[in-house]
Amino acid sequence: MKSTLFAGILILVSGIALIQIAGGRPGLAAANAQENVAPASVAIDNFTFAPATLTVRAGTTVTWMNRDDIPHTVVSTSEPRALKSKALDTDDKFSFTFTKPGTYPYFCSIHPKMTGKIIVQ
Amino acid sequence: MATEATEKNNEIVYDHNGDGIDRRGFLKCMAWAGTGTLCVIQGGILKSYSLSRLPEIIKKPAGELSFVQISDSHMGFNKPANPDVAATLRVAVDKINALAVEPEFILHTGDVSHLSRPEEFDTVDQILKAATPKNVFYVPGEHDVLDDDGQQFRERYGKGSLGAGWYSFDKKGVHFIGLVNVINLKAGGLGTLGPDQLKWLRDDVKHLKSSTPIVVFAHIPLWSIYPEWGWGTDDSTQALELLKRFGSVSVLNGHIHQTMQKTEGHVTFHTAASTAFPQPAPGKAASPGPMKVPADHLKSVLGISDVNFVRGHHALAVTDSTLE
Repeated sequence: MKSTLFAGILILVSGIALIQIAGGRPGLAAANAQENVAPASVAIDNFTFAPATLTVRAGTTVTWMNRDDIPHTVVSTSEPRALKSKALDTDDKFSFTFTKPGTYPYFCSIHPKMTGKIIVQ
Repeated sequence: MATEATEKNNEIVYDHNGDGIDRRGFLKCMAWAGTGTLCVIQGGILKSYSLSRLPEIIKKPAGELSFVQISDSHMGFNKPANPDVAATLRVAVDKINALAVEPEFILHTGDVSHLSRPEEFDTVDQILKAATPKNVFYVPGEHDVLDDDGQQFRERYGKGSLGAGWYSFDKKGVHFIGLVNVINLKAGGLGTLGPDQLKWLRDDVKHLKSSTPIVVFAHIPLWSIYPEWGWGTDDSTQALELLKRFGSVSVLNGHIHQTMQKTEGHVTFHTAASTAFPQPAPGKAASPGPMKVPADHLKSVLGISDVNFVRGHHALAVTDSTLE
């Protein structure tokens, strides 16, 4: 009895949490709404974003993963910065869901020679 | 312009790679790690000596002023290239403490930490407490200003500094200038000083006599070593222009984890080795990431940057050649 009640509360709480996440991050909400958009990824290896240019459908979540021994960031080239990750240490990931079509140039703000772009169609 | 700089740079690289290096000479440098640089100002001219050649340095007479440059301690780094960067920094401190003449102070040219974490800075502070020179002057590297544009760094090390953390001070008639070129970097670009800092620099040196020896220190090299890897500073020529009238200008940098030197007119450029891990010679690897080499090869690989220093084939190379 107790455990059922507990489970009920848990479901309720997680339901609220989900609503909050979706509400706070419009990108994620849109991604959920748009079904079957496969996620995409960009590898950070040898001070390079690969692929340097990635074309995706609107609603795609792109994940960057740092495979270098040195930290990197993923930051939009110009203001306002659509993308702005924290410093990613080795094997750290950063994800962003692109809801609006357009071209999103970005760079590593620590090693500015590293540049890439996401084209959202 | 950029091409010319690259060519110049390649010249240096070829010098130390294709000259039938005397390997016995540099294999004597047992401790590659913990390398720092002893700087001696004599007759207004700065000379630098790698601390990996300590027995030879001890025999050298002191000048008017000597200090030590250490760089790129990368506290917090724990990958195979060097899983114990605290231990190698302690080696550097031991070498500093073993100098016959106590240096006036220590300059740390940045990348004190690997990930800007408070505990990383704490560890470095703790280790450097054991050094006989009690004064340590810092400029930040890009690893020290992650996620906060250097606010924490300035709170710790930048008391009395201006803007992004630049400052100057005088010791025994030498004017020292600490510059910051790791903040607000632009996509596709190199290190940046920025107009505010350049304006401050102009005012800072305005009232100095041209005979005043100048020492400039900053993390990213203020000369174009290898722009393809970001080893240079976009507006460094503007800074150097402001220092043109001075008879002796020494520029000390870190960032590239290997020693390199050149002289242009009255300006001598030096980069220091890292106390943590080596990086490849310009263009000699897929990226400038940490060099991972088998332990028994480590000394020879690291020795190359030392030879680069010692051999002095480059017409303009100076300093450690006198130690041979």
